[in-house]
Amino acid sequence: MPPVGDTPTGAEPTRLRAVIQSPVGTGVAAITATAVVGGLLLWAGGLDPWAAAGAMVRGSVGSWDTFVSITLVRSVPLILTGLAVAWAFQAGVWNIGAEGQLYAGAIAAVWVGLTWGALPGWVLVPAVLLAAGLAGAAWALVPTLMRLRLGVGEVITTILMNFVGIYLAAWMVHGPLQESTGVFPQTDRISEAARLPSMLPGTRLHLGFALAVAIAVALAHVIRRSSFGFQLRAVGASPEAARISGRVDAKKILLISFVGSGAIAGLAGGVEISGLTFALYEGLSPGWGYTAIAVALLARLNPVGVIFTGVLFGALQAGAGAMQREAGVPLAWVNVVEALVILAVLALERTRRLGSAGENS
Amino acid sequence: MTEVLARLSSIRRSFGQVVALDGADLELRAGEVHGVLGANGAGKTTLLNVLCGMTLPDSGIVEVAGSVVRFRGPRDAWAHGIALVHQHFTLVPAHSVLENLALGDRRPLAVVRDDAVRLAERAGLELTLDAVAEDLGVGDRQRVEIIKALLRDPRILVLDEPTAVLAPSEIESLFGLLRRLASDGRSIVLVAHKLDEVLGVADHITVLRDGRTVLSGTAGGYDVPSLVQHMVGTGVVDPAALGLESGAGRDSARRKTGATVVARLDDAHVPAAGTGSGLRGVSLSVRGGEVLGIAGVEGNGQREIALILSGRLVPSRGRVTLPEGVGFIPQDRTTEGLIGGFDLTENVALALHREDEFRDGPWIRWDEIAGFTDEIRTRYGIVSPSTTTSAGGLSGGNQQRLVVGREVTMARTMLVAENPTRGLDVTAAAFVHAEIERLADDGVAVVLVSTDLDEVLALSDRVFVAVRGELKEVPSAARTRSGVGALMVGGDAAGG
Amino acid sequence: MSQAEFVLFLESAVRLGVPLALAAMGETMTERSGVINIGLEGSIIAGALGGALGALAFDSAGSGVLAGAMAGGVVALVFAVFVIGLRTDQIITGTAITLGGIGMTGAIYQARFGVTGTALTLPTLPAVDLPVLSEIPWIGSALFGQAWTAYMAYLLAPLLWYFLFRTPRGLELRSVGEEPDAAKAAGVRVRRVRFLATLFGGVLAGIAGAHLALAHAGTFTEGMSAGRGFIAIAVVVLGRWNPVLVLFAALFFGAASALQFFLQALGLDLPYQLFLALPYLLTLAALAGWVGRSRAPAALALPWDSE
Repeated sequence: MPPVGDTPTGAEPTRLRAVIQSPVGTGVAAITATAVVGGLLLWAGGLDPWAAAGAMVRGSVGSWDTFVSITLVRSVPLILTGLAVAWAFQAGVWNIGAEGQLYAGAIAAVWVGLTWGALPGWVLVPAVLLAAGLAGAAWALVPTLMRLRLGVGEVITTILMNFVGIYLAAWMVHGPLQESTGVFPQTDRISEAARLPSMLPGTRLHLGFALAVAIAVALAHVIRRSSFGFQLRAVGASPEAARISGRVDAKKILLISFVGSGAIAGLAGGVEISGLTFALYEGLSPGWGYTAIAVALLARLNPVGVIFTGVLFGALQAGAGAMQREAGVPLAWVNVVEALVILAVLALERTRRLGSAGENS
Repeated sequence: MTEVLARLSSIRRSFGQVVALDGADLELRAGEVHGVLGANGAGKTTLLNVLCGMTLPDSGIVEVAGSVVRFRGPRDAWAHGIALVHQHFTLVPAHSVLENLALGDRRPLAVVRDDAVRLAERAGLELTLDAVAEDLGVGDRQRVEIIKALLRDPRILVLDEPTAVLAPSEIESLFGLLRRLASDGRSIVLVAHKLDEVLGVADHITVLRDGRTVLSGTAGGYDVPSLVQHMVGTGVVDPAALGLESGAGRDSARRKTGATVVARLDDAHVPAAGTGSGLRGVSLSVRGGEVLGIAGVEGNGQREIALILSGRLVPSRGRVTLPEGVGFIPQDRTTEGLIGGFDLTENVALALHREDEFRDGPWIRWDEIAGFTDEIRTRYGIVSPSTTTSAGGLSGGNQQRLVVGREVTMARTMLVAENPTRGLDVTAAAFVHAEIERLADDGVAVVLVSTDLDEVLALSDRVFVAVRGELKEVPSAARTRSGVGALMVGGDAAGG
Repeated sequence: MSQAEFVLFLESAVRLGVPLALAAMGETMTERSGVINIGLEGSIIAGALGGALGALAFDSAGSGVLAGAMAGGVVALVFAVFVIGLRTDQIITGTAITLGGIGMTGAIYQARFGVTGTALTLPTLPAVDLPVLSEIPWIGSALFGQAWTAYMAYLLAPLLWYFLFRTPRGLELRSVGEEPDAAKAAGVRVRRVRFLATLFGGVLAGIAGAHLALAHAGTFTEGMSAGRGFIAIAVVVLGRWNPVLVLFAALFFGAASALQFFLQALGLDLPYQLFLALPYLLTLAALAGWVGRSRAPAALALPWDSE
């Protein structure tokens, strides 16, 4: 059962349409707890938490340009992978494989961008993104079929597929797709026509951000309003009750949600290539697929909430560089902070439920 | 006066806001079978849990063999000679009978094996120690539970609702065993909701109401109506209406059973799986306006029949004709009928969201469903602050009202109800029974699948028994507890 | 394949299989109690760093293993506090623990040895030749000329099997993982059992990590656990939650990984990165082929409320 999001308790009436809302209170409390614990850990490690915080703020929202060109740009893949995770988790699908699906999408995007580079932009950009989405979906299809046909749980299979995806990308940039001089472990840059247009002239922010926001809003609407979205939540909340209700095709829901989630994660890879890096290289993703879990959970699986938590984690990643330069905080701290956020959300969610649960014996 | 083995005085225990026990007393004597009665929520199970060390009381005194004790866990209770046979069987399905017996024993398996064989012999029970627990029938599982309790060599043996899932002949042999165990100088505590059963075996009766002991006396001094009076507390109650007495068949002259066949099974087969027998060629016609009762010990195919008739299961072989407008009340409302984290409206939507009047293409018309939910809430007297309360927070009776209300609405042609009153108290059960009758009177076909034989007999126009994946119709002459009971365990009805 | 090549292959198969075996046998006990620890990877990497730091501090690989065991245990302790104490979701908590474990070890490593740092050189666990056994031709030196952590894995498999299936405490552990309510009714302290089983799994994963750093590489690198925790969890499934089968499954995967070096040494012209992906692909294939026929503990991954 999904641990969060759709399990309000009796003591706390929720409006129907607010069931998957993101209670800002939990988010703020989780961030506060993370800041306190993270600060203490830094202090224990002999670092200055205040200096780190200052660098963090300067590096992420220090100026308009920093915010738009670094933080918002960094947030795009986080929002998209966060949406992928939120969708899957709401349907009770443990897709921990956004990382691999993202790489599959990035590989497909680069390949389409390089192969048909002569096409006009209005064809090529959609083709690049479509290819990325399809590749992500295909990457997710393997664990989906393993679950549906063979009964193999998706947690381990999606994680294993991440490693395969990462090594596949590594092979691509050393082998078939290596840049033409054959020196660097990366691909050639895709043509101008394959690149996403800028969203704000003078900044690096590309249309991928608008796309991510649009997908978030659409996904939220579908989950809240549509018959499919309702069935998806029912399967996620209680597969047994959904099955016995006789009105929910759990297998179809699972298939669509798993593959759809993979498609969005794949799209994240495509958008990153087409909007920002224009080339594929090893280590394209610093673990976005895993950060996505923190992003989705902090938003309590609400797609619109993911926009905000995605920007928040974008700021964290943007600020991490500054923290390392100015306060000597190792980059690896980003992972620690992500872990702390997830744990804080889980603990708060749990405590709230324990506090308000009406026991009946 | 016989020896007092245990005495619980003024026990109080709350769970959060809910007061489960509010000054309950219980006195147990050697050599007696002691019946503990009470409506749902009266505190029976909690009181027993206190006695058995599963729950600590907030206040009150527990005395065993004359000295005050404070149990911190079941092990403490065993040490004082108290063992419990649980209402829900506590066997590990994947383990062997022997492993189940040895669990928590801490002695080597071989020693436990010898002990178990000896005990089973003395109690006159058959045991297959190497069988896997999940392959056993309910009666066998219960015997394992009893041996497990007896391995602790208890002076006090507590049984919580042991008869709920047994066939009549199994109940008789259980009661025989309990009498033998009591005559060895033990005290047997029996909780059951069938009053006539309890009166048939108990020497002493304690009645709980709202967490207090309202009656304690010799069983001989009471009959069913007087006990009901004590359990319910107020007003004059007709026990027959509450389904507490073994009923004598419903008055079908009151209504004409329509001739229209609304649903039909022809030679339906389902492969056996897990503990279920599957179906081995079941044919059945259901007519509008009748209550068709299906009795049987759990796992004999009735679940499969209910699922097929409600359209939730497609038989592997055979033909099924089903009408539009079927309601289905599944047996486990908390895991199958409702989603605890969803609010009332969403739970109603679970059944309704694909009906034309509640959707708009792919979109759900939430306002319509919310309005409709409010109607159900009012009509069925569901106690909840609003339609946006989550269903998990409702009491068991209110949850069942919600499921019944929803499915009755769906049941324009047929209602399939599976153990619809299991776990409900007398008033809630009476309400469900009244709804079933009302539907049938309106011409809707009702298929009532229940392990509660009295319920089936009291409500049904036609009675069937599911035995090992087959369905046998009970001739009207044999429609008695003993007649149907004989069929349930695979005999024929002639004896009834 | 010549005898020398075969011995070399088998030797590296065992060396690579041992950390998987240790971690997977620990996870077997954890899962038998109804807890799935996806954070195993975190325990392994913590064990590797703990092993490295311990070995440096005391200039002894043996102390390193001890320190690794403790580090793995501490990580599992955090996991246990969340999933058993607070009853949080095991999958998500485990993912966070892995993330945090990788982050913390990276941060500590960078703080201690700098970002660029030349490769760390650590005291290594020496190979111990078992008398007589190591002289068996073909397999002797490969199986019985290993570091002592390997012998620990060999010994643990039958010991854990005996504990699980032949002792009252083992029965309690399995019952907790199958039907915690039944175990509670029988007087078993469900949470304590799960706690201990989870800690045990963490300690073994820590030793596995220390073995990686001290018996394999003689060094520590960030992220050197490289997904072994996840493969170990798959190995538990393939070994059907039976410690003896788990040992064999782990050694099989060791052999699969060893094959990659061996084929490369043979000059087979397959890209290096695909060799690296091989263990994961093999695990996926094995899961696809096997899982349908095995049965997980019934209460696996389900949080348990006592009332």
